[in-house]
Amino acid sequence: MKFTLPIFDVKNLYFRAGDQEILSNISLEIFGAEYIAIIGPNGGGKTTLIRVLLGLEKPTSGEARIFGKRIKDFKEWHKIGYVPQRAIHVDANFPATVEDVVNMGRTSQRKLFSRMSKEDNACVLDAMNKMDVYSLKDKMIGTLSGGQRQRVMIARALASKPEILILDEPNTGVDMVSQKRFYALLKQLNQEEKITIVFITHDIGVIADDIARLFTINQKAIICNNPKEALSCEEMSELYGIEAHLLHNHKHEH
Amino acid sequence: MFEMFAYDFMQRAFLAGMIIAVLASVSGTFIVLRRYSMISETLAHSALVGVAVGLVAGFNPIWMAVIVSILSAWLIEYLRAYFSLYSDAVLAILLSGSLAIAVIIVSLGGAFNNSLFSYLFGSILSVSSADVITISIFGTLCLSVLLLFSKEFYFIAYDEEVAKTSGIKVKLLNFLLVSIVAVIIALSIRVVGSLLIGALMVIPTVSAMQYRQGFVRTLLISLAFALLSVASGMTLSFYFSLPSGATIVLSILVIFIISLVVNKR
Repeated sequence: MKFTLPIFDVKNLYFRAGDQEILSNISLEIFGAEYIAIIGPNGGGKTTLIRVLLGLEKPTSGEARIFGKRIKDFKEWHKIGYVPQRAIHVDANFPATVEDVVNMGRTSQRKLFSRMSKEDNACVLDAMNKMDVYSLKDKMIGTLSGGQRQRVMIARALASKPEILILDEPNTGVDMVSQKRFYALLKQLNQEEKITIVFITHDIGVIADDIARLFTINQKAIICNNPKEALSCEEMSELYGIEAHLLHNHKHEH
Repeated sequence: MFEMFAYDFMQRAFLAGMIIAVLASVSGTFIVLRRYSMISETLAHSALVGVAVGLVAGFNPIWMAVIVSILSAWLIEYLRAYFSLYSDAVLAILLSGSLAIAVIIVSLGGAFNNSLFSYLFGSILSVSSADVITISIFGTLCLSVLLLFSKEFYFIAYDEEVAKTSGIKVKLLNFLLVSIVAVIIALSIRVVGSLLIGALMVIPTVSAMQYRQGFVRTLLISLAFALLSVASGMTLSFYFSLPSGATIVLSILVIFIISLVVNKR
């Protein structure tokens, strides 16, 4: 058996806000080139878990490591692409073209004073092409549709050449056609570029078939290595109540 | 038209005004995009405390203004970070508080006179050679830092958390930005006046944003508007003997209204 270092390694993690326990004894590992969905009810702690992993929140106890390093010692943040929940809600008047936004993805790797280097421009171009937004590059971000904006946000994350993409409910407010296209693009990134994808959603009905592992977060974590089984298992029913049955039935219809 | 440049004081005021237009519009762009416009008003009032101390104690008012407004900027950030107060409330408290302290100091020191008036509303007559040198040196420094970190400031303005997760030192840069804004405001009060500098920081950018352009173009349009309004404001101030801050702000307001109307959808 080959030993590989996980990208994220979480051990016995607790997060408390006031006297409310949001995350309790979470342990999980995320490896390179995986495709993982994190699901769970609203308020179940999915976003909190991600925020802890990204160093935006400090855990009450327990430990999370990124690429084997403690979060506060981790420096290579460009390896991680993060697209937050509110990313598609942009102030309509913010003075940014699509290219301006994707360029931001290069910010932390550019040197002081330096203009965009050839390499920077190549990364931005590549990211825009992969997310199919090159034709929009001179458009103002505020004038795009939800689906287009979502692709731009992911292009920005891709511009830093990440090894892992973390997407927090990226489909909120996006139409069905765009969602399908979006899943196809994610699948491509995962299979062709070997980029690890962690995808958070509270909507278990929209989980794509491509997902390899499923984490369910509702204060505690349940890790299922076979999502299709997981969706019919007892624990899931407990977690979601009737919703899991609905999904179960829905799956059988196909 | 160019007879006004026959006067030494006007040459000095014009040079200082142009430098301030550049500084105010560039730093103002980042402040406006971060939804932090009110900090310029508050820091301007804090700078007045420095002016008051300078006038009463006989120190250089600009230097004192620089020191006090930097301290005020740090106090604002500290209060925001450690007492979880609303930032607009913190700004309001420090704005009135600073003004109260400034008025008490000048009243006690018996310096409540025309020279204070010029610090409130700006005066083209008051810019000394020493002021021009101070403004040039600090101005160059501030502009260098702003340009040095412009891509970071822009990213932070766009999305602070994503900027942080991409490895940008957000806390440090926020601190740096408010410190620079504090210095720029203190430098500006000779020409624009502490009650009016906020307008020169905020309105050029808001006007430029009406044209819905990308970052670099918005920055350049804002810069052009600031230069234009300072130039026309100073000309009006010279010919009509009006406080320069007031005429500058009036000019930029005209530009703002035109920008709104032209871009109305």
